[in-house]
Amino acid sequence: MQGSAAARLAADGRWWRIAGRFYLVIGYLFLVLPIATMIVFSFQKGQFASIPGQGWTFGWYGKLFEDGSLIEALQNSLIVSPLAATGACVIGFFAAYAVNRYRFRFRGAFTVLLVLPILIPPLILGVGFLGLLARIGLQGQLLSVLLTHMVIIAAPAMAVIQLRLGQMPPALEEAAWDLGATEFQTLYKVVLPFAFPGIAGGWLLAFTFSFDEFIIAWFVSGFDPTLPVAVYAYMVGSIDPSLNAVGSIVFAISLLSLIGVELLLLPLLLSRRKEAD
Amino acid sequence: MVVAALGRADADTAEVRDRLNPLKLASIGLPLLYSAAFFVAPLGFLILLGFWRVEDYQVVPALSLENYLDIAANMFAQSTYALAIAQSLWVALTTAFFAVLVCYPLVLAIVYVAPANRQRLFLVLAVAPFWSSYVLRLFSWQILLAKKGIINSALIWIGLDGLQVELIYTQTATRIGLIHYLAPILIVVLYVTVANIDRSLIQAARDLGCTQGQAFRRVILPMSRTGIVVAASFAAIVSFGDVLSGALLGGGAGTSILGSVPLFSNMIMTEYASSTNLPRTSALAMILVLLMVAILAAGAALAERGKIEAG
Repeated sequence: MQGSAAARLAADGRWWRIAGRFYLVIGYLFLVLPIATMIVFSFQKGQFASIPGQGWTFGWYGKLFEDGSLIEALQNSLIVSPLAATGACVIGFFAAYAVNRYRFRFRGAFTVLLVLPILIPPLILGVGFLGLLARIGLQGQLLSVLLTHMVIIAAPAMAVIQLRLGQMPPALEEAAWDLGATEFQTLYKVVLPFAFPGIAGGWLLAFTFSFDEFIIAWFVSGFDPTLPVAVYAYMVGSIDPSLNAVGSIVFAISLLSLIGVELLLLPLLLSRRKEAD
Repeated sequence: MVVAALGRADADTAEVRDRLNPLKLASIGLPLLYSAAFFVAPLGFLILLGFWRVEDYQVVPALSLENYLDIAANMFAQSTYALAIAQSLWVALTTAFFAVLVCYPLVLAIVYVAPANRQRLFLVLAVAPFWSSYVLRLFSWQILLAKKGIINSALIWIGLDGLQVELIYTQTATRIGLIHYLAPILIVVLYVTVANIDRSLIQAARDLGCTQGQAFRRVILPMSRTGIVVAASFAAIVSFGDVLSGALLGGGAGTSILGSVPLFSNMIMTEYASSTNLPRTSALAMILVLLMVAILAAGAALAERGKIEAG
């Protein structure tokens, strides 16, 4: 009696298991499809992608570098995004340190104020940024993108750094003070090294946000477009497989940061979960 | 003496902690200053700018309701903002629904079906698309979904001539682009929720004779409710504010059951591109803000009701 019930349950579980596996395959195919398309068709002849293919070529990569406008935009992005991520990490670190260590009035409001920019749709912020920057003559340059991106991406940087600082035993800092270190020495020699994985993970996340951000850059960048803005302008005009080539290059760059995140960010998130258990 | 020294050290740390030291000033002040200059100020300015005017192609400070009145007059005439708003709401809500419908079962499969030691790999793979450029992924979707694109040509190639998808430049294509963009984030949010459900509760339900389906309906689903609501609200907000998918896959004015109407966000973007009338754009953006607050409030109310029912 009990045996048959167990068998029934096991059989019931097996069908769910098969359905689950099937869905995993479908789901991951959906996730991978556009990226695989991008890479495969960056090496395909023929302006209009279709199946069966029309033979292989490196031509689109050549055209990309000959034409130069997308490469220039990629360079712009590779200047702005690392700088913005670094600035965001400085702000994010100080903010996380303040929230983690000090008790002050409006501490909750302080946190909300700093996290809010990432929750507000960038379309709205873009209009506001342009309005203000145009008023003080700072619009239409790479500097405008840098200044505005820093606000948005300081939020994820702060969140990740705070995750790490939250794991720091308060006794660590106290020990350093007791041994005679000044506040700044302690910050530099004890807190910063401890927070480093969080800072690096936060930097990568901030970089990714900035590198991929479109609408704010579209409003404020003017004649110095970042990569997404240039790609958009390109796409509205024509279908050009060079875009697949630039996409593949960007994905290769991003894979490096993805590996960095796998090494830095996930252990942080997962270790907190373990503590919660 | 040791006691005295200890006492002094304690006093020192306490003093250091309580004093308004330069480090405290810097760590609170620096982020606050930056946020005031480049976040609070632009947002405040956005509100102000909506009441300004354009005269002879110059933005002039004023306190006029002209922009808002003109937008109100255009709600159902000419620009038909009301239709665009309705289209945006419809697309955002359905996108959120389908995004959760796609991602939640995937997360369940990762947590309960995938081998335990591979879960992390599955999670990293699910997040990978997030690290490729969104706008370039949309280009991929464009050549996949195009009339004579990859999917349709592949269907002909394998002999399914009758089966052609006509998705490009419809709001369905907009949704596909958005769901693909949202999936990595939703998967992480839902994974954190589902992975934290105590497995012994599920085991208990099974031991008491629940089928797998019953255990899902009575234990797993109620316990993931908050995560689902958070994920859906997030998806709705992002979809509502997104311009890229609607412009590139929806083709600006993609068709849906509401007809060939652009999204409100796309309308704001194209209006600014053609007129560069910043005060009017600001007024339109303010309307977008108000609508978004309404969506968030609805989401929060839903989550609250869920809590009460569950608790």
